[in-house]
Amino acid sequence: MNPAHQAQLEAALQQVTGFIYPNEAELHWSILVVIYPYITGLVAGAFILASLEKVFKVKDLQPTYRLALLTALAFVFVAPIPLQAHLGHPERAFEIFLTPNPSSAMAMFGFVYAWYLMVVLLLEIWFEFREDMVRWRQQSRGLKKLFYWLISLGSRDVSPGAVAFDHKAVYAITILGIPSAFLLHGYVGFIFGSVKANPFWSSVLMPIVFLFSAIVSGISLVLILYYITTLLRRKTLDQKCLNALAAFLFYALIIDLSLESLDFIHRLYESEESIEILAELIFSKLFISLAIVQILLGTIGPLLLLAFALFTGLPNELKRLAFFIAAIFVQVGIFSTRWNVVIGGQLFSKSFRGLTAYKLELGGQEGLLTALGLLILPFIILYVLLKLFPPWDDARTDTKPTEG
Amino acid sequence: MKSGKIPNQVLQVGFVFLLVGTSMILVRQHFIPESFGELGHYRADAVGVIASHEIQFAGWQACMECHEDQVAAKNNSFHRTLSCETCHGAAAEHASGEAEEDPPLPTGRALCLTCHRYLVSRPTGFPQIIEELHEPAKLCHTCHDPHDPTPSERPESCSGCHAAIARVKAVSHHAPLDCEVCHEVAPEHFLRPRSNIPRKPFERAFCGNCHAAGVDTPANFRGVDLTAFEVPKVDQDTHGGTLLCWQCHYQHSPEAR
Repeated sequence: MNPAHQAQLEAALQQVTGFIYPNEAELHWSILVVIYPYITGLVAGAFILASLEKVFKVKDLQPTYRLALLTALAFVFVAPIPLQAHLGHPERAFEIFLTPNPSSAMAMFGFVYAWYLMVVLLLEIWFEFREDMVRWRQQSRGLKKLFYWLISLGSRDVSPGAVAFDHKAVYAITILGIPSAFLLHGYVGFIFGSVKANPFWSSVLMPIVFLFSAIVSGISLVLILYYITTLLRRKTLDQKCLNALAAFLFYALIIDLSLESLDFIHRLYESEESIEILAELIFSKLFISLAIVQILLGTIGPLLLLAFALFTGLPNELKRLAFFIAAIFVQVGIFSTRWNVVIGGQLFSKSFRGLTAYKLELGGQEGLLTALGLLILPFIILYVLLKLFPPWDDARTDTKPTEG
Repeated sequence: MKSGKIPNQVLQVGFVFLLVGTSMILVRQHFIPESFGELGHYRADAVGVIASHEIQFAGWQACMECHEDQVAAKNNSFHRTLSCETCHGAAAEHASGEAEEDPPLPTGRALCLTCHRYLVSRPTGFPQIIEELHEPAKLCHTCHDPHDPTPSERPESCSGCHAAIARVKAVSHHAPLDCEVCHEVAPEHFLRPRSNIPRKPFERAFCGNCHAAGVDTPANFRGVDLTAFEVPKVDQDTHGGTLLCWQCHYQHSPEAR
């Protein structure tokens, strides 16, 4: 055995309690597989937030609509990278498109992803930004002009009729996009929920729980981004918009907590043979990440903070700060949720008689640094997108493009 | 805005989708192997590629032609599901008469331990040994015939499997006692040890047969005359409270705590 692997295995074996099978000491799904559902959840959540404005006509959320779309796009670009880094051989990913295997849920991810990226996100953003792209092309020179020409596919028609058609197209795509976003993240939950051999994962509630935690994470991320970008641009925060974001975050958190509790109570009531090892897992290995970080800091804390800020006569400055802090804690909590599902689900033996441990490496292909890099990457992409396609209202109202 | 009845932007986007779709079809035609899907979700030509590999294994029927006795013995033994080449290695060259050397005769313990080393996940009743305890100095085939591994007779002594215990007991005050003095051992234990576990003493009174104050050392305790030995006596009513004897004394070396 490779000495590095042996040292790793020995370190893991010291943390083993009870009896485990020989192939369970080392975890197969690492932190990169934690990041994958985390990022995918942010994509779906941000898109669903955007659809609230477009389809459900929540006008208060208008300032965050375009930001939410670009956030979803920046994160969806990164979504498959953790998987490819984890599996290695990224060039083989293309083969699932060449010879699709409909009987494998994992192999179908490429199609779910491609549908969501190509047919939903890119199309909606293209129609939403088309009029602006025409204007930006007219206002810029050189390479930038060429870029906008290419990206707008040579479009020049900004007549009221064409713009009205854009709006209709955006509306239609958003309606199509809601079930697609549900599909995207519901799919991730489905993958875990359908692992029959793992009682921690195997639950029909899994896709629904994943979906609502995705909505929670998406709303809180857009809230954080809206807060920071507006402050960096030295503009005024729209209090109505922040109130609406916080209110939706609050309601989504309540639904998320209810679903998680339902899942928990259902498992307790069923009390299948795995319940004892799962209880031991939760009270030993996962106590900090589940009870403290996910439930207390990531759910109950933000719920109380949001309720206090929303329903008391707090001054607006304090309200905004409370929303921001709550959103940060929600992000930490949601990351912890993904950690608890992916890592927690591999910490107990299938013999139900022992627990193992996960040792996170610092470097290497599946280490902490790679994970941090993959978490930072979407923000870099978002920065570029925000520079190329400013989503702010003031960037649209400068001058109207001329027709032709 | 319109070209005919279709808006321009739909044509532009449609063109891109058409381009992507067409290139996907062309790429598929180029990259998907022709025989893919003929037999299943794989390249059917791969079967031919695999079949063209040089044959390494001869199969036990080929061995049968010259080694009839050994193959027949193996096929009637617990090793019947193993192929000859599992232990002797790939022997196609040997069977065709082209090999310069005979197939190897595995003589070490390592090969047997691949299957028979004790592992908790192996099924109960499957013969497994702890290599450090099971006749550590001997080679497997000195006691077991690999072509018919079923022991024809029971192991000569318990130390065959319980060597560590036997070594400790041999230098203890309990050395004169046979294992069966304290353990009731069913004859089946020697053939299927894990399905027929020997009984152990389970109460203080058992040790009291020899060690209780006021009890004469038995002259015939399960066939052993113990009167020649100096047997320590304790008042079992007061000694050790409610503890069982073996909670303080290790029965295979009873002077130790």
